[in-house]
Amino acid sequence: MGLWIFLGVLALLVVGVVAIYNKIVTLENRFQNAWSQIDVQLKRRADLVPNLVETVKGYAAHESGVFEEVARSRQAMMNAKNPDEGAEAANMMSQALGKLFAVSEAYPDLKANENFKLLQEELSSVENKIAYARQFYNDAVLQFNNAIETVPGVFLAGPMGKKEHVFLEIPDSDRETPQVAFGS
Amino acid sequence: MSRPRQQRTPEAVTDRTTGRRIDLYATQTANRRASWALFLAMAGLLAAVGWLLAQAFDPAGAGLFVGVALLVAGVHAAVALAYSDKIALAAAGARKATRDEHRYLVNVSEAVALGAGVPTPRVFVIDDPSPNAFATGRNPQNAAIAFTTGLLEILDRQELEGVVAHELAHVRNYDVRFLSLLAATVGALLVVRDLVMRWAFFGRRRSVGGGGGGGGNAQAKAVAAVALIVLLIVAPLLGTLLRLAVGRKREYLADATAAHITRNPEGLARALEKLRDWRGEPLKVSEGVRHMFFVNPNLKANAAGWFSTHPPIDDRIDRLRRM
Repeated sequence: MGLWIFLGVLALLVVGVVAIYNKIVTLENRFQNAWSQIDVQLKRRADLVPNLVETVKGYAAHESGVFEEVARSRQAMMNAKNPDEGAEAANMMSQALGKLFAVSEAYPDLKANENFKLLQEELSSVENKIAYARQFYNDAVLQFNNAIETVPGVFLAGPMGKKEHVFLEIPDSDRETPQVAFGS
Repeated sequence: MSRPRQQRTPEAVTDRTTGRRIDLYATQTANRRASWALFLAMAGLLAAVGWLLAQAFDPAGAGLFVGVALLVAGVHAAVALAYSDKIALAAAGARKATRDEHRYLVNVSEAVALGAGVPTPRVFVIDDPSPNAFATGRNPQNAAIAFTTGLLEILDRQELEGVVAHELAHVRNYDVRFLSLLAATVGALLVVRDLVMRWAFFGRRRSVGGGGGGGGNAQAKAVAAVALIVLLIVAPLLGTLLRLAVGRKREYLADATAAHITRNPEGLARALEKLRDWRGEPLKVSEGVRHMFFVNPNLKANAAGWFSTHPPIDDRIDRLRRM
């Protein structure tokens, strides 16, 4: 009798541990997948940039300062060795592109260019996708952190070697419409 | 900052009307469980019908009757799930949205799907000036969302994001699967009811006329027949009421989920306002698919009531504004 109770408790314990283990792994995979979604969008944006710069150069060749800034941010993204550098370069590119679009406001011919309009829609939608992908990443990280810091996940997180992950800081400037400063 | 994106309470939103917190991730699991429970209930109900039928006509063949009833239940549910999206899209006259023609809609859908954490759905358009939308598909991997051209014309980007998020919320919450199963349940019961009615009025008369009645307890047979008829009349009605009630609740939940996905309840609220104030020819779709739309295509029917498929629009706007 005592043996059966012992075996029953043991079986319940095993089932519980397996369930928690699977939940933690699922949540970890979810936010890692979310991370790769951000990466896909950042790469797509970087791919659109040369095309955009060429188009704008055709109308506003002398705005070289802005082109250099965009090129530098793209270079920084290519050279990024870790996620932190990558995120910083991505923010740089957002700002540089914001300036580029602000500058193009002053060129009506450019704004009427079909190719430019298309690129503008594609880039603003990529920006939007990046914002949404980051938001989902943070949601997924929060769920993961909650799972490994609360009972019962906290008992398994240590043995599994899982640690709390940090949220992505979402720069406020990302979603602001660039302000155009004329004069000075 | 055009919208607050760093709200740090993503797993739950508070419904201020009822004061309850809705756990958004738990609803998925709950819905999947409810789908199974519903399927089992349907199978049980049909088995009961089969058993009663056997008692009323031929107690020796009970096994056969129950077996046939269960087979009907299984096939009906499988077909309803497998073809739900194709039937819905065809019934609404939807065609695939191409990136070239509807770049804006496709981009917005892809973005919101990223925010909702579901695979990019197939996107369709319906050529109709009346603004509306719906989602279909048995799971997020097979989801399709459709929008009328009228909707695309009158909404701005934030409003469209709200509507897309609402539809993707139905997808992520497995609402479509649940409601398809529920509709299939009611459908299967109606099929069985019609068959039984036919047997009761024709088959039985013939057997009585032939003078054969295999003996047995005539009283028990009569009781079984009455129970059967009551069950077959009441069950589909209850099923329909349940479907409508559950559907209305799910509209509120999808609105709340959409507000969470976009972090922008105002966009969806404005979209609902525009749809409420829109005047024109209503969307022509059959009665059977009305419940799945974003707002009831019959605009006058967007009011409260037991038999309404949607909650009142004003109430939905009100709840969004108070989030």
